[in-house]
Amino acid sequence: RARRCPAAMAALLEHESQIFLELFHRDGLLVCARGLGVDRLLLRFLRLYCEPASLVLVLNTGPAEEEYFIDQLRSDGVVHLPRRVTNEITNNTRYEFYTQGGVFFATSRILVVDFLTDRIPANLITGILVYKAHRIIESCQEAFILRLYRQKNKEGFIKAFTDNAVAFNTGFCQVERVMRNLFVSKLYLWPRFHVAVNSFLEKHKPEVVEIHVSMTPAMLAIQTSILDILNACLRELKRYNPALEVEDLSLENAIGKPFDKTIRHYLDPLWHQLGAKTKSLVQDLKILRTLLLYLTQYDCITFLNLLESLKASEKAFGENSGWLFLDSSTSMFVNARARVYRIADEKLNQKGKVPEKSDVKKENELKRELVLESNPKWEALREVLKEIENENKNSEDLGGPGQVLICASDDRACAQLREYIIAGAEAFLTRLYNKTFGKDEKAAEVWIADRKAVKSKGNARPDTGPQAKKAKLAASSKQNKNKKQQDRTIIQMIGKAEEEKREELEAEDNKQLSSSPENNTEETVPEDFHVNLPSDCYYGIFKDPLTIIHPLQGCTDPYALTRVLHEVEPRYVVLYDAELSFVRQLEIYKASRPGKPLRQVYFLIYGGSTEEQRYLTALRKEKEAFEKLIREKAGMVIPEEREGRDETNLDLTRDAKPASAAADTRKAGGQEQKSVQQTVIVDMREFRSELPSLIHRRGIDIEPVTLEVGDYILTPDICVERKSISDLIGSLNNGRLYAQCVSMSRYYKRPILLIEFDPNKSFSLIPRGSLHQEISSNDVTSKLTLLTLHFPKLRILWCPSPHATAELFEELKENHPQPDAETAMAITADSEILPESDKYNPGPQDFLLKMPGVNAKNCRALMNHVKSIAELVTLSKDELAKILGNAANATQLFDFIHLTYGEAMAKGKSKR
Amino acid sequence: MAAGSPVLLNPEGPGDPAPLPALKPGAKSSSIVVSPRQRGNPVLKFIRNVPWEFGDVVPDYVLGQSSCALFLSLRYHHLNPGYIHERLRHLGRSYGLQLLLLQKDPQQALKELAKVCILTDCTLLLAWSPEEAARYLETYKAYEQKPPDLLKERVEQDFLSRMTDCLSSVKSVNKPDALSLLTAFGSLANVVRASREDLSLCPGIGPQKAKRLFDILHEPFLKPPQNEPLPPPK
Repeated sequence: RARRCPAAMAALLEHESQIFLELFHRDGLLVCARGLGVDRLLLRFLRLYCEPASLVLVLNTGPAEEEYFIDQLRSDGVVHLPRRVTNEITNNTRYEFYTQGGVFFATSRILVVDFLTDRIPANLITGILVYKAHRIIESCQEAFILRLYRQKNKEGFIKAFTDNAVAFNTGFCQVERVMRNLFVSKLYLWPRFHVAVNSFLEKHKPEVVEIHVSMTPAMLAIQTSILDILNACLRELKRYNPALEVEDLSLENAIGKPFDKTIRHYLDPLWHQLGAKTKSLVQDLKILRTLLLYLTQYDCITFLNLLESLKASEKAFGENSGWLFLDSSTSMFVNARARVYRIADEKLNQKGKVPEKSDVKKENELKRELVLESNPKWEALREVLKEIENENKNSEDLGGPGQVLICASDDRACAQLREYIIAGAEAFLTRLYNKTFGKDEKAAEVWIADRKAVKSKGNARPDTGPQAKKAKLAASSKQNKNKKQQDRTIIQMIGKAEEEKREELEAEDNKQLSSSPENNTEETVPEDFHVNLPSDCYYGIFKDPLTIIHPLQGCTDPYALTRVLHEVEPRYVVLYDAELSFVRQLEIYKASRPGKPLRQVYFLIYGGSTEEQRYLTALRKEKEAFEKLIREKAGMVIPEEREGRDETNLDLTRDAKPASAAADTRKAGGQEQKSVQQTVIVDMREFRSELPSLIHRRGIDIEPVTLEVGDYILTPDICVERKSISDLIGSLNNGRLYAQCVSMSRYYKRPILLIEFDPNKSFSLIPRGSLHQEISSNDVTSKLTLLTLHFPKLRILWCPSPHATAELFEELKENHPQPDAETAMAITADSEILPESDKYNPGPQDFLLKMPGVNAKNCRALMNHVKSIAELVTLSKDELAKILGNAANATQLFDFIHLTYGEAMAKGKSKR
Repeated sequence: MAAGSPVLLNPEGPGDPAPLPALKPGAKSSSIVVSPRQRGNPVLKFIRNVPWEFGDVVPDYVLGQSSCALFLSLRYHHLNPGYIHERLRHLGRSYGLQLLLLQKDPQQALKELAKVCILTDCTLLLAWSPEEAARYLETYKAYEQKPPDLLKERVEQDFLSRMTDCLSSVKSVNKPDALSLLTAFGSLANVVRASREDLSLCPGIGPQKAKRLFDILHEPFLKPPQNEPLPPPK
């Protein structure tokens, strides 16, 4: 009731309705600039199809996104809300569930099985919406679903959405391949520089104030040092690995966010071949990038702490990553320390530059004089807040003071900002210093006293912490007239909270209201207050006017910031850190509600810093990606049958069998060969992997069933258990693989263990150089050896990738009869075992082997001499000893058989 | 012999029917018996944890009474694709566990050999270095007599856990069932002596489970061909 209608549901903007109409009339892939509202468009389509008459599936959405969409639709008054297809809806009722119509968010694994088993009325589907479409590569589940859908449904639509243009920048003809997997022939490109977008947003531009803050000399020096070292590391890396593509490993890229991913992408496939030097270089690069981030993101103490801990761990582990000994790194240490403290004693300084902390610590601490350099951005933020405050004072014509939203990159930055604003730079830094560098209170006290002295002289900056706060509170108390009204709106916002809580808050408010005129000291600043916002990670500072800090990243709900933006409706937004998509989102937000708040956006950025560079690079990257896409689009040749609406699309005809010479000659002989449809039976649980999709792609039918034994049944004889490397290690350790091999070799002539490697990781079982001198029973190889010793009939397949597996499966099936699903499903512990598999019956044998005193060796003797378990219990201890050849074992076994439950319990107790 | 593949010594005349005074499969030896063909294979110098000796054997390595291995380097295989088939043919199926130990170059495909192994009843093992190959050979010898306990699920050693583990090896009998059987009948011996009806009267155990359990307890260990099936005693 108090909740305002979210802007996403407001009318579409000019360019948005153009996109919507285009995409509505003709299927295609929409690539939109980041932050330009691809979610708003998807939402619009969802809304269109939220009715029983249509059946629309949405692929590739995460739970948080689904929740957001459903929330938005609900608040828009949509009755037939989208539903999720999960395990909770049983197999039998699913068909009916689908036929009720509307929009479905489906788990891909479930949807694949539903398509394969006709549990979904494929011919009735109105269409499929694909979110995050850049991820649709050939082997993924979603591509499999689309293929199955197009085979069975030629009428329905496929519309795909993505806002990640940069993702298409990798690989050869990436966008065309994705479009092929999506079965769409149209590509809609909407970069930020699109004329329609640009001219429209120009009209509704929020007032942006860019504040270029300059870094302190020490910060600049540190940044230069880090860049130097970074460059040196990159050079080294290239020297050791000449094969690496040079362009991607430039310094400019190295400071960008996705660099870690890029480098892993290049190095992962050959990771096991890399020398120790390269590996440590990669590690160093990572550390350096973290340092660079910390430098601009956090305060001087946090930075120094990180640096010192690096040095300490270096000592502790004796690792030798060369960069710590470079000149630049010395200068970095000196500067980083100089930001925090200086050593008073000149002599000490001469003796050993900056002495080792641990050695001369005690002596040193007393002589340390704290400097505690404040962050330039903090000062800038204070200026901005002050300006906003001034404006709020004269804001009668705007309807009272406006809300403020401050955005910083992550949680830590937000927490720091909050403390800074509330407590002031000195108090905050002092506390942090004491926390990090021990009980150096004396130095801190001296520092504080110093500062106070300076302040009283009037030389201090006029607006330090408490003073500013006083000013703020004074300001708000002046606006007492407005205040009541303002309180109402806050209360409305809190309205979602329970009645009780609201009253409490109101009472608190009143208390504060009444006390504020006299008592405008810092105590009135609430320690912690809760505004019921749809996000779990905001940091409130002031209630009046509402001022909130929110992280840009790292929330559990990716839409948290969006929700907060729409709930708070800030008039002022301060971007403490710049992020491309949020900047765009602000533009859209502003444009979608002309005349509503959002007057000013402040943009704080360190001029000439890597931070600025990072932002600009991100902008440029996206622009380049779009330009490339535009070129590719111009040159794209799209086959007429791409959409797969007739029978001519080759991706849909599944006769993938290469025309082998033998088959051809037979056909030439005029003999109509009756081809049998190849089938593989696949366990339901295997649909998490991409292998079923790839098998299907090769023209082999897939029958999903629940198998008790094996994962894939290729022929009546061949049963395959698939293990990824991590599975293999795990199941060798916990006994699962042993049990699986037991049952496979009981019921199938050719049990196979398939070891499937990740194509993006190195293809090897144990890393190079990690072989122990001795045989160790913990090694995978040892366990694998033991396994094959006990299952001599077990075959092992080693596959470097799922693609290779699918190919191999096809060849293994050649000239063999097809497996039968009924038979495979019926194989349980009850069914007949292979006659030749063992001369003993498995049931009693398993039972026997679990008894104490019986082991793999003596159990044969037992089974040869004793008819059954029934006879076993009639034997005396002596008779058992004679058969087992060991009195101790016999006693164990005999006791186990004849001990009663009561006796066992009593025995156990007495032992304790 | 190509300089790049010193790994495999040339088989002296494929098809040569020279009667090898081979160690019969089944003959006991405490060391790995290595065929003289393998002389010069770098793998040999990494076999350090178990003894090995040359001997006239059909496979390249005899690892135990019923296990043996052929060694192949993928590089050699690509130069002489026919070689391994000849060796496999010659080996026949005289050992229970026949390994094809393949030393792999990362770049090469091994699909075809995987297929060959399935057809000729060989177990394919992949080693990425001579050290790793040697480690496999050593381990096979060292583990020749080792029981599979290492691979099995570990069970608590107290009476109750072992008893529930034992009884629940029968399909569909779960842990609570095992406990209720034990409390109802007192000891395992009494459970075994109980009639099918008595079993089915136990709480939680229906006629279905009772039948399964009863059958397992009275089924002969040996399968019929070796032994006349016995009517379960009343």
